[in-house]
Amino acid sequence: MPSNIARNAAKLIAVAAGMLLASVSLSAHHGQAGYNTTETVTVSGSLTDFQFVNPHSIVSIGVKDDKGETQAWQGELTSPNHLIRAGWTATTLKAGDQVTMTGYRAKTGANSMWITKISVNGEDLRMGAGN
Amino acid sequence: MRPYFIAPLFALVAGIALPSLTFAQAPPPAKPAGSTPDLSGVWNVKGSPATRYLSWGFMKEEPPMTPWAEEKFKATKPSFGPRAVEDSNDPVNPTTVSAVGCFPPGMPRLYLQPFPMEIIQVPGRVIMLFEFSHFIRQIYTDGRKHNTDLGPTWLGDAIGHWDGDTLVVDTIGFNDKTWLDRAGHPHSTDLHLVERIRRVDEKTLTDDITIEDPKAYTKPWGGQITFQLRPTWNITEMVCEDNVNFDQFLKNEANPKK
Repeated sequence: MPSNIARNAAKLIAVAAGMLLASVSLSAHHGQAGYNTTETVTVSGSLTDFQFVNPHSIVSIGVKDDKGETQAWQGELTSPNHLIRAGWTATTLKAGDQVTMTGYRAKTGANSMWITKISVNGEDLRMGAGN
Repeated sequence: MRPYFIAPLFALVAGIALPSLTFAQAPPPAKPAGSTPDLSGVWNVKGSPATRYLSWGFMKEEPPMTPWAEEKFKATKPSFGPRAVEDSNDPVNPTTVSAVGCFPPGMPRLYLQPFPMEIIQVPGRVIMLFEFSHFIRQIYTDGRKHNTDLGPTWLGDAIGHWDGDTLVVDTIGFNDKTWLDRAGHPHSTDLHLVERIRRVDEKTLTDDITIEDPKAYTKPWGGQITFQLRPTWNITEMVCEDNVNFDQFLKNEANPKK
């Protein structure tokens, strides 16, 4: 019997954890209000990761600071659907590419931005939709 | 508990939609005699400086709300429009990570989500494929009456008829879980939507939308949306709930290194 109680308790915990995860994963489609849209920042560095994913794409780069130490920065783009229509593919950005990104920084002060302009290896990339 | 309602809901939508998709993928049928205007194509809302409000609503002015609607409207905290706030309770696109998002926008808000829509026409039916979260709206033009057996639904029950070159769409049977627009305007289950959809020229579609809901508004109101044909676009996958990719992103943002 005690083992049954333990099993039921474990089930309950699993259900509770599942509910928590479901809440977290559903909650993340956020707008721009978490960013300071009154000014922009620009950073450059080597691409560490590019996720061409719904609902928004994510760019991660390593930026060398004044002391020569690498700081991780992340940037959020629009959805892959819109980027595809502007000519992007899943391999438009590759690890090691030199990326410069300009955008609105997170209000928390994190190294995180909503990207408004981006270039790779010196070439500006369109983010708006074409015909 | 609310997130758990999503899965069965989408299973239901998929169950309804899949047979139609199978039909839509079949070779195009021959055009019937006395053929109707062709609205088919991939359409995207065409913005202009004069219609900037289309990113959150159907008209610039405030609609004539009843006290019942005023009270509900005041409780809404939208992510878009003149009343946009950082801690929004927008059920579709919240601005905080603690709010539940990705609920179906419903009609007519679905038109305002910034993604294209494809119209597919088959005899007796006009089908709208919305890229945003893959909603499918079926407008029956075969003369049938409204079917309300399903009860209140997110997109309602749509029937249509041709008035010359204009498709007149009549939709009822809505639940009251959605906002009419992205600015937080409420509606009741009495919502009645009338649309006049016309292909003005090869590349332009207009939809004159009239919103009737005596419980929420003292008189009918609405606006016009202009859509631009996007001949080279395809409707691609856009799944709002696919947010697992964002977990680390949001953790990094919420806990910046000092």
